[in-house]
Amino acid sequence: MAKESREKLTDKEIKNLGLRSMFYQTGFNFEKMQAGSFGWCLLPGLEKIYGKDSPEVGKAITTYGLDFINTEQHAASFLMGLVLSMEENGSDRQLIKSMKTGLFGSLAGIGDAIFWFTLLPISGSIAASLCGQNLLIGPVFFIAFWILMALSRVLFLKAGYRLGSNAIEMLTSNVKELTKAAGILGVMVVGAMIPSYVSFSFPEDLTLFGTVGVQSIFDSIIPNLLPALFVGLLYYIFKKKQVGIVALILGIIVFSVLMSLLGIM
Amino acid sequence: MSITLFQGILLAVIIFLLAWDARWECFFMFHPIVVCTVTGLVLGDVKLGLQAAAITELSYLGLSTVGGTVPPNALMAGLMTVVLAYKGGLSAEAALGLSLPFALLMQWIVIACQSLFSGFNVKLEEAAAKNDMKAYRFYVFLPEIILTLLYALVAFLSTYALQNVISDFVNSFPEFVSHGFEIAGGLLPAVGLALLLKVMLKKENVAYLIIGFLLMSVLDLGNVLPVALFAVALALIGFMRDKNTTVEEETDDGEGI
Repeated sequence: MAKESREKLTDKEIKNLGLRSMFYQTGFNFEKMQAGSFGWCLLPGLEKIYGKDSPEVGKAITTYGLDFINTEQHAASFLMGLVLSMEENGSDRQLIKSMKTGLFGSLAGIGDAIFWFTLLPISGSIAASLCGQNLLIGPVFFIAFWILMALSRVLFLKAGYRLGSNAIEMLTSNVKELTKAAGILGVMVVGAMIPSYVSFSFPEDLTLFGTVGVQSIFDSIIPNLLPALFVGLLYYIFKKKQVGIVALILGIIVFSVLMSLLGIM
Repeated sequence: MSITLFQGILLAVIIFLLAWDARWECFFMFHPIVVCTVTGLVLGDVKLGLQAAAITELSYLGLSTVGGTVPPNALMAGLMTVVLAYKGGLSAEAALGLSLPFALLMQWIVIACQSLFSGFNVKLEEAAAKNDMKAYRFYVFLPEIILTLLYALVAFLSTYALQNVISDFVNSFPEFVSHGFEIAGGLLPAVGLALLLKVMLKKENVAYLIIGFLLMSVLDLGNVLPVALFAVALALIGFMRDKNTTVEEETDDGEGI
């Protein structure tokens, strides 16, 4: 891919992209979670880099805006900056994609720890105690605080963008090795996400011959065997069979309700 | 005290707007702190709103959507705690418990929608393939518009029109349906992950997939960060090895006959 000159995105455009990333997570669904909105947030940046209606925009969206992603919002803004910066420099798309996939889970861990598990409980309990004393300053403080946190996404996107431009040279000179390394990172994180996101288990009181718990049989082999097998089955279906995704999703929903009706799950 | 049609509509509009924030999880105005206060303002009883805000917030503060799970709906809980206390002349504490069916109803609607909305991913793929960014934008937002309107509808019906009916309906709802959707919520992420693997998984990578899965399964980790760092370490080892081999090969070529 030809190297494009940098600095296509101005400071103002980066700021606007940061503000746009406040609307991240629009269109959330269980299958791919935040995939669509990640692409949506990148769109103006990609259109600036390649020009409106350029086929490259569609290709970039195909690469970044259709795959499973679930991360904390500020982490997402950071990733967008990183992706745009690398994209602008004409880095290999598969490499960028592997980076994105490999990073979002761990960045989510950091972001959740800061925003969801620290700042939210603290700000919420302070505001609640003020409300308990009938002070309107409680909700006002809460609103002001979180508007600031929302605006801070601009900084996160900027940081990602800057980091991307510094890392570019190193990245482009070792594409083959790096793609392989990023593949390792990405696949291993996906492996780790299976037990954290997919839950497939039988209730404890479901027993075989009235004695052995069905779930305990699976657990005694290795924990989370069923989620792994389920992902494996779906992978096999996608690789070898021509099954529509919608049909598959509906099938899973029907299966779930049926299992629930029969009391098996 | 009863709620006027105007108040019902106003509350529905407010819930519609806050529902967008609940979906974005951006300004956190969907939290009971804000919802209860605003509802109190609309009903003309700010003190009740603040009292409800304090106790409802503390009950729902620990519930989060981290990791893609869906807890009972805090937005509806905040709204209905104030509304039920106002209508029935109850304390905020008593109303909090009664608001649970409404929070559960909205939770089920959200889970059902998030499952069904997976179907829109196909539309996104088509739009991207055709380079039709207008359609792509449209299908990112369409599900959200549907869901936020549902929020508004439930809010209007619960506050103004059908409060008792809804409460009874929720209590009589066959448990297997809602539980079924909970199960589906746990299974559907597998589709997204399998699709990722379809692209990323190569023979040389399979070992790392297994390592990542086992580490996360066996170790009791709160998030995937430690596994990811381990993955970085392994990737780095691989990277260094590959790089050195390339250099050696180049040197060999130079020394060749």
